[in-house]
Amino acid sequence: MFAVTLDLRIFANNAELQKKGKGQPGDMLEKAAEQLMSCFRVCASDNRAGIDDSKKWGMLFLINQLFKIYFKINKLHLCKPLIRAIDSSNLKNDYSMAQRVTYKYYVGRKAMFDSDFKPAEEYLSFSFQHCHRSSQKNKRMILIYLLPVKMLLGHMPTHQLLRKYDLMQFADVTKAVSEGNLLLLNEALAKHETFFIRCGIFLILEKLKIITYRNLFKKVYQLLRTHQLPLDAFLVSLRMMQLEDVDLDEVQCILANLIYMGHIKGYISHQHQKLVVSKQNPFPPLSSVS
Amino acid sequence: MAANATQTTPTANWSYGAAQEGQVHENPEWEKARQALASISKSQSTTKTAQANRTTADVCVREAGQFQPAVTDSAAIQQQQYYQWYQQNQQQYPGYTYPYNYYYPMGPYGGAYPPNQYGVPPGPYPGPPTPNGQPPPVPGMDDQSSSYPSQPQPPPPSAPQPPQSPTTSEKPPPPPPPPIPPPPNSQYPPPPSQNAYNPNNPMPYPPGDPNQMRAYNHAQGRPNYGQSYQAQNAYQASQNNSQQQQQQPGQYGPGLGRGDLNKNKNQKQGQQLWHRMKQAPGTSAVKFNISKRPYQVQCSMVPNQTFPPGEQPSGMNPTPSSPATASAAPGAAQTRPQDWPQAMKEYVQRCFTACETEEDKDRTEKVLKEVLQDRLKDGSAYTIDWTREPLPELKAKQSRWEAVPSQRTLDSSISRGGNTVAASRGRGGGHRLGHYRNVFSQRSPSSSSSRSSSRSPSPSHSRHRDRSSQRHRRSDSGSQSDSSISSDLRPQLSRRNQKGGRGRGNDRDRGRGERGRGRGGKANRGRRNMDDTNSGMGKKRKGGNAGLDFHDPNREAKKQSRAARFHKQLRSEPLVLSINALDLPNGTQESLSWEDCPIVGTCQDITKNYLRLTCAPDPSTVRPVHVLRKSLQAVKTHWKTHQDYTYACEQMKSIRQDLTVQGVRTEFTVEVYECHARIALEKGDHEEFNQCQTQLKALYKENPSENIGEFTAYRLMYYIFTKNSGDLTTELVYLTPALREDPCVAHALALRAAWALGNYHRFFKLYLGAPRMASYLIDKFVERERKIALRAILKTFRPDLPVEYVQSALGFPCLDSCMAFLTGLGVTFFLSDPNKIDCKASSAVLAAS
Repeated sequence: MFAVTLDLRIFANNAELQKKGKGQPGDMLEKAAEQLMSCFRVCASDNRAGIDDSKKWGMLFLINQLFKIYFKINKLHLCKPLIRAIDSSNLKNDYSMAQRVTYKYYVGRKAMFDSDFKPAEEYLSFSFQHCHRSSQKNKRMILIYLLPVKMLLGHMPTHQLLRKYDLMQFADVTKAVSEGNLLLLNEALAKHETFFIRCGIFLILEKLKIITYRNLFKKVYQLLRTHQLPLDAFLVSLRMMQLEDVDLDEVQCILANLIYMGHIKGYISHQHQKLVVSKQNPFPPLSSVS
Repeated sequence: MAANATQTTPTANWSYGAAQEGQVHENPEWEKARQALASISKSQSTTKTAQANRTTADVCVREAGQFQPAVTDSAAIQQQQYYQWYQQNQQQYPGYTYPYNYYYPMGPYGGAYPPNQYGVPPGPYPGPPTPNGQPPPVPGMDDQSSSYPSQPQPPPPSAPQPPQSPTTSEKPPPPPPPPIPPPPNSQYPPPPSQNAYNPNNPMPYPPGDPNQMRAYNHAQGRPNYGQSYQAQNAYQASQNNSQQQQQQPGQYGPGLGRGDLNKNKNQKQGQQLWHRMKQAPGTSAVKFNISKRPYQVQCSMVPNQTFPPGEQPSGMNPTPSSPATASAAPGAAQTRPQDWPQAMKEYVQRCFTACETEEDKDRTEKVLKEVLQDRLKDGSAYTIDWTREPLPELKAKQSRWEAVPSQRTLDSSISRGGNTVAASRGRGGGHRLGHYRNVFSQRSPSSSSSRSSSRSPSPSHSRHRDRSSQRHRRSDSGSQSDSSISSDLRPQLSRRNQKGGRGRGNDRDRGRGERGRGRGGKANRGRRNMDDTNSGMGKKRKGGNAGLDFHDPNREAKKQSRAARFHKQLRSEPLVLSINALDLPNGTQESLSWEDCPIVGTCQDITKNYLRLTCAPDPSTVRPVHVLRKSLQAVKTHWKTHQDYTYACEQMKSIRQDLTVQGVRTEFTVEVYECHARIALEKGDHEEFNQCQTQLKALYKENPSENIGEFTAYRLMYYIFTKNSGDLTTELVYLTPALREDPCVAHALALRAAWALGNYHRFFKLYLGAPRMASYLIDKFVERERKIALRAILKTFRPDLPVEYVQSALGFPCLDSCMAFLTGLGVTFFLSDPNKIDCKASSAVLAAS
């Protein structure tokens, strides 16, 4: 009980600090972060107290607050030691769910920015699934980051989900990607560019282009019904998407990337200018790739 | 002894605390100071105990109690105080009226004095109380007030101290002499107890009445303190420390300056006196250390004249220092009470106003605390010319010293005061405020010298310091001395130093001092002081003060560290001097920040080698803008004709430095940075390029340039180079539509898109068509991208691939370079046709690599 009250007080103090710091520009935030860090160090270095009343129970709360600040001031590299501290903590699964959800949300975001999409999906999924059902706002925030990651990994959101969380910006994107409609994708990205950039997911969504290429070429393959595909056919398909400045070399380049990443099983014969795809499962499902 | 020791530690703490406490009451910062003091006091306590042991023989339990407090301050402090006392006593004896003032002013002594005033009272209180004090000591320990109460007698002194300090002239003589003159222990105890008390007796302090003490402090000392403290609560602590130090220097300076201010002759005499005084203190230093508090008490007492000025101290100091000290002491004592509050307040305000950032404020707070505390302890606060006091930055340096508080205390109040002050000054000087720095340096020299001298290990350092200080002093005296009090103080200090040196018989010091006199007097004085202090140390050691000996090891280490600091500072100081000189005339110590007081260079040289600034810049070495324009042209033409990057880079950096120093942020600044960025880019020096980019980013906000797009594009590409998608995203957020249409930015964005999608075909197409100098930047990561692309290519194409395709796809300008690249990666070719790559085999090689 003693420890609980103590922790509560620490929390309150820190919460105040954060409130103070958050309202103000970078400098104040950094100062608040400094204060929080000193609190965190105290908590983290509390090795004497028993597990029940250890100050370590305050770590995650503090870390989450620090995350908020660091994400705001764009200093993600400062998060690393905090994540390490939690990873090495034997309490990491015993913190309150609310704290863990928050923590995973930020760690997932960080992983996403670091292009570690698999772990990012893991963290964000956990966060989304365990987020309290009444916190629609939080769930939406999680989805903003979870969706691109999921899509990149081949899981397309349903229209229903997007509508529920008022994320219709993704609707066109989703449709374009799944149809291989590069034109629509470009339009959708351009249309909501501001929103996506503000969320920091524009670059992630841009990578969906690769998936879109894959889906587009898959359609070409399905139309031609052959495992020896002339490169001209792909060029035509790209031209159809109003990409006027593409040439055969670029087609080869795009195909090379898809093959390299495992989205297409096959090879290009430079001599014959043909893409030779595997007779079995030339376009493996996205979820099995990478 | 044990009891004494125990008491002493606490008392000592208290004694510090007393001075500090008074301050503490006023300021929260006190607590910090207290802690620092406590740590010091502990160390001191050990020393004290030793001293106490020594003294015990001489001094009774009372003394022990007193000593303890004094000891607690640290033997060094005590010593210093003693010195001061001696000096003061001497001075006081000779000229009580003057001496009093001088005493306070007497930095070194003053250091002691200040402590005395502040600490002294406590010390004395404890001392007198010792008898009373032992019981009181604890209380005293607890609070100054308590200490005071515990030591009713001391309190009176203490109370008197501040007030006495002015009055000290009367009292000082008695206290200093008694404590000082007598062997450290015996003398201290007796003088403090008796003298101090006696003086104190006159003083209102009911012996042992904490309240009285408080009252005293409040009424007399505190009021002053309070004022200063209130304003500078935090500062007080710092100031106390610094004050001690400063006091010594400052006291010297101030005391001398104030007392003798204008008269060099007097200064010389004063220096001689000082030397004598110092010597006496030094000799007695050991004793003094023990008796510092007693001295303090005495000091407080001194006013009362309880101390026979000549009696104890007189033996040591009185004769030599008596004239100067006496003269100085009176002035200091008189001036102190009045000046302190307002002057100190103003000073504190100045310090804070000088702070640009909160960090600076925090720093200044710390520094001020230390300085004020020290000075208050020493009583130098009264004597010091606050208007000339260096700003907080200098104090920041002091803070470093603070780290060594224990050392200081141990070393001796004198050395502490001087060192801290010097350190602070030196540091400060090095930092922002040249003026301040100068002031500090000036003061510091004397103080530092004394301190350093006390610390035998760092004589050379001290010398250096002195020299530097001398320089500063010279410059100061030359430029500023005329009007400023500091100059006056300096002379006084120098006089004192000289006196002390003479008395001690330090030939070196004397010789130095003479030189210094010839030059500016101040520097010499400082040296003399140093020597004197050193001699004093030797004397003390000889005296066999166990406490001192114990401290020595630590001291040495500390000294060395300090010396190191000083060296650094020293460099800066000379430069600072010039600045200070400029600033000083204006009398604007406050304008510490670059922005506040931009420097306008006077150097007409078109070329100038780059030297990293370690101190405040010297206008005579800084080129004004119109000269810099020529410089830029010269560098550009030189670059075009010679392509000598090292030369160009150095010249550009010096131009940048001059611009920065002068706070010039105009289109020209942008041009310089752009030019340097391009040159650095061309030569692949991406460290310099980054520096320029960072500056340009900030500069563009104020001075939009037509090249903003170009450099934004470079930044985007640099993010690609570092694969920093986070910063890339942020940068995209801030890209305005107009900026996006800039050909360079558009190119960079297209490049980024191609890069993000691994579209090597497009990427290398863009690479070959890069505008301006973008290709230099892309060159940095083109190899990396080629490797990645090649891997994809080799995995994709079967069974073979002509090299020509790779060459065109990867943007190689010619076949040979492509072949070199491929063979470098271990790509295998068909034996039958060397122009065809065996993709399968090569892919395996690449995958393995």
